[in-house]
Amino acid sequence: MSLSFILRRLGYGVLLIFGVVVLNFLLIRLAPGDPAVVIAGEMGGATEEILDRIREDYGLNQPLTTQLAIYVGNVLQGDLGQSFFFNQPVSRLIAQRIGPTILLVLTAQVLSILLGVFLGVIASRKPNGPASAFVSIFATIGYAVPVFWTGIMLIILFASVVPIFPIEGIQSVRLRDAPLLVRGLDIAHHLVLPAFTLAVVYLAQYARLSRASMLDVLGSDYIRTARAKGGSERAILFKHALRNAALPILTIAGMQFGNLISGALLVETVFNWPGIGRLAFDSILRRDYPTIMGVLFFASAAVVVANILTDLSYRWADPRLREQ
Amino acid sequence: MTPLLEIDNLRVTFDTRHGMVTALDSVSLHLNAGETLGVVGESGCGKSITALSVMGLIPQPPGRIAGGSIRLNGEDLVGAEPARLRSLRGSDVAMIFQEPMTSLNPVLRCGDQIAEAVMLHQNVDSARASRLAVELLDRVGIPAPAQRARDYPHQLSGGMRQRVMIAMAVSCRPKVLVADEPTTALDVTVQAQIFDLLNEIQRDVGAAILLITHDMGAISEMADRVAVMYAGRVVEQGKADDVLDHAEHPYTRGLIDCIPALGRRDDTLREIPGVVPPLHLLGDGCAFASRCAHADRRCLAQKPVLTKWRHHPVACHAVEEGRI
Repeated sequence: MSLSFILRRLGYGVLLIFGVVVLNFLLIRLAPGDPAVVIAGEMGGATEEILDRIREDYGLNQPLTTQLAIYVGNVLQGDLGQSFFFNQPVSRLIAQRIGPTILLVLTAQVLSILLGVFLGVIASRKPNGPASAFVSIFATIGYAVPVFWTGIMLIILFASVVPIFPIEGIQSVRLRDAPLLVRGLDIAHHLVLPAFTLAVVYLAQYARLSRASMLDVLGSDYIRTARAKGGSERAILFKHALRNAALPILTIAGMQFGNLISGALLVETVFNWPGIGRLAFDSILRRDYPTIMGVLFFASAAVVVANILTDLSYRWADPRLREQ
Repeated sequence: MTPLLEIDNLRVTFDTRHGMVTALDSVSLHLNAGETLGVVGESGCGKSITALSVMGLIPQPPGRIAGGSIRLNGEDLVGAEPARLRSLRGSDVAMIFQEPMTSLNPVLRCGDQIAEAVMLHQNVDSARASRLAVELLDRVGIPAPAQRARDYPHQLSGGMRQRVMIAMAVSCRPKVLVADEPTTALDVTVQAQIFDLLNEIQRDVGAAILLITHDMGAISEMADRVAVMYAGRVVEQGKADDVLDHAEHPYTRGLIDCIPALGRRDDTLREIPGVVPPLHLLGDGCAFASRCAHADRRCLAQKPVLTKWRHHPVACHAVEEGRI
């Protein structure tokens, strides 16, 4: 894996993010609605004169191209603008909320891949057995059910029927000053439901995909060779088959990352998780343009990074892709 | 002297959508230590099923060994414990497959794949196994073996890959080496090299070879004895020279006639008219009757049994009655 390949991919990534920034800016400005009215509304209504003042303060009276140029220039300097609503720098808002979101998204991603692949492998061993049927049914349900519905059902279940997991927030107020380890465990406890909710959809997909992929691989000639060597069933499944079956799973994992981030928006809203998703939700309701664009900027950067990592891991997993 | 490998009355059936078909019917073969037995016939005649049965690699289900025995040094492999079969596979009985392009695992280094076979059956650590793998690659005539051991299968040519397969198969000095059309996928010049190599290896290791092929040329070059199979049965069996010089079964004669001879003034290549009938459509008579110029009513009604008439055992009513 060469350095020039990584640099080239990074270069494409930067270009892509730039394109996303411009597109986001234009899309949001094209949407109907006037932020000045919203800002004024928060202050309790306003005359035309005050609205003009607000427009001038925020640069909203400039031509669109000028606004765009100013915005891009600021972004390049690391300034994502000032939130209309929170009245704080957007970069600070994002920095405060990035941790919980990364924690949630990565936990859900790891959980869904590990558990999904495990279920898929189990199912592939006996494609007509009960485990396989269970995986298929579970996958269909998991895939069909909307994220927010799963979240609400889990809240109902754990709020009233079996109250063993917290259903809201990231930590308990009374444990805020507890030692680090206790606080860590508390956060993990709060993480269970949101992470599981977010993971379910993807878990189902990975289970299905890895079942199909494993079945495909297990029928191939080199698996027969591995058996002819006298390899154990476990070595055949995990050493010979899974490495090959992992290739399509990796591709999907990379592509799903963007969906996972948008899924996080719903999950964070349902579970009141203090992350980027809820920030996006709040700022969309309030037409807080700079914050929306900041969040989208962050999300697109995360997706680009995830795709680069997918590309690299793909090369790591499949030696045939390395020399090109 | 008891033969090293003795297949006795072997019957293998498969469940298909046409119902149960008999892929091997009363197949009896034996292989003495150090000799080469050629098994020859068209596609679908049961050659490969015979090879896979010896390896214990018949996919079950849909396949099933419905009767008979396969004895290696007197030990019956049919109905042996899976763990016992695993310990024999790769060590006492090893196999070279038809498709070198797909029979090696694409994501594992060639050297590691050989070393794995070594480690499965010999009490050596991985460093020693890797050194042995390089020695084996050298032994099968691969230049720069240490370097090739680090290569992945896609970096090698077909002939080289088949050499890797051979190195893997002979790594534990097997008593029986099953070679299922080892040269079919290779260029003609490479075919000759691979046959030379197999002959050399056989002298070195002292393995008996069960050579599955459809190529009468390969038989005359490699085999001590030959068994001709048609539609799941052995129809003629004997010393290779004897069968080639005094072929009696019309099918064997047809196969020999198909070899294009230099200097024969023919405008067309000869062929046996018709195709092997689908196994589920076999009736009570001789399976070859529909393609045979000598078939009469008895041939259509009654299966001939392998019996020695003039030179060697043949299953043919016409030979028995002296009609040919």
